[in-house]
Amino acid sequence: MQVEKTLPRPAQKKQDLYIVDTDVHHGVSGWTDLYPYLPQVYAERLRDHGGSGPSSQYWHNGGIRGTRADFFDMDDTQESTRRQLLDDCEINIAILTGSTAYGACSMPDADLGSAICRAFNDYSLEHWVASDERFRLAMAVNSQDPIGMAKEIDRIGSHPAVIAIIMPGGATKPYGNRVYDPIYEACERNRLAVMIHFNGEGVGINGPPTAAGWPSHYVEGRMMRAPVYMAHMASYIFEGAFEKFPGLRVVNIEAGFAWMPWYLWRMDSDWKALRYQVPWVKKPPSEYVKEHIRLNTQPIDEPDNERDLEKIIEWMHGDQTLLFGSDFPHFDFDDPRKTLTRLPNKLRQRIFGESALETFHKLGRPE
Amino acid sequence: MGRHVICRAEDLQPGAVRIVEAEKRSIGIFNIRGEFFALRNTCPHKGAPLCRGIITGLVVSDEPLQMQIIRDGEIVRCPWHGWEFDITSGRSVYNPHRMRVKAYDVAIEQVPDEDPSVETYSVQVQDDYVVLYI
Repeated sequence: MQVEKTLPRPAQKKQDLYIVDTDVHHGVSGWTDLYPYLPQVYAERLRDHGGSGPSSQYWHNGGIRGTRADFFDMDDTQESTRRQLLDDCEINIAILTGSTAYGACSMPDADLGSAICRAFNDYSLEHWVASDERFRLAMAVNSQDPIGMAKEIDRIGSHPAVIAIIMPGGATKPYGNRVYDPIYEACERNRLAVMIHFNGEGVGINGPPTAAGWPSHYVEGRMMRAPVYMAHMASYIFEGAFEKFPGLRVVNIEAGFAWMPWYLWRMDSDWKALRYQVPWVKKPPSEYVKEHIRLNTQPIDEPDNERDLEKIIEWMHGDQTLLFGSDFPHFDFDDPRKTLTRLPNKLRQRIFGESALETFHKLGRPE
Repeated sequence: MGRHVICRAEDLQPGAVRIVEAEKRSIGIFNIRGEFFALRNTCPHKGAPLCRGIITGLVVSDEPLQMQIIRDGEIVRCPWHGWEFDITSGRSVYNPHRMRVKAYDVAIEQVPDEDPSVETYSVQVQDDYVVLYI
């Protein structure tokens, strides 16, 4: 499969935009889909005791079970994704961000979690990636098993369509911690980016979803997303992860972005005062962010005056740090044809495609 | 103003919606307990097919942590982003005066069988038809 060399062209596009969608959800239709890819001991355990690992406790989502009500009853989600998203919205590259294996990271049995990640990765390559040259895979990684997952990254990380790993936001330690080093070493060997997707906070072996305890409602859970990414981001920067792994790229999915200017200013201010406690941090945090950290647009932030977004994007260096994501087929899906339409065309081109091509080492530029 | 005969009244049951194309517009026609209403099938927020959303009631609350559903079946919740609209008026729930979707008149009329706008299958003179006015 020569994916890198045969990037689809934006040939008959109605708009002059090369679109990389950094958040397209794919999954299995049921746990039985994974049985052929699991060692027999685990397939039998899921068969006998049920498959679903811990996931978000806030499962009273929007739409119908989180999915668009006009998409939910589709028989074949893979075919529908190709038609309704890739074709209709003229997506050039769609990064599959899963969902099925997020719970693996918070399962008490780390080996079962890793087996589920491996099985889901094989399933994804065979049933999704192989079906359309526009699909790329963010492979599932069990964050509680860094050594085992480094082997998994080396096993399939050289597949041309595998361009990133993905881990959920919920974790036992924030992701800049040294315990994850084997994962990042493997990512560097295989030129993969790291994606983080909101999920798994406050479930399984993880701590509470906020330091203020457990909120009651799904809508409150949505408000917790940015702080989760802030915690990971500070960890990456102040633990020195980007000094250790200069090729490391971290893409934070589905927490919006308008909070980012304040966070950059805050980190830079505090670094000036407290740099002496973390002397391996060699430059202002915002400089690390510009080079290493990305946010995606989803769910799109909607100030009262839409034009204010341009200023916010400027403050967060969004021409480099902001990547488009649709979140298809979830209920708060952002259609690229209706998203950030008031921005100058040049900036749109950065956000919808060019910056992603620069962020993901294995996404070549289209000829 | 265009008049469009849509279907026999009995073919659009209470609680159901039928989405039609009329004058280059996609329009959803709803039967709420025998009364008929029509909304533009385009959400004013992001253009989603609004009428394919969940048909539900209005969830209200007199004080925190108490809630109930009233006006069951009179609210449609957009399949993208979940904005709620009153099917009987087109007004949004979150800001009824400033955010609304176009609503159209619907009547139940007895359509004579020579009416050219009706398909040619045999029509009883007494049949009730759903008629949309744009």
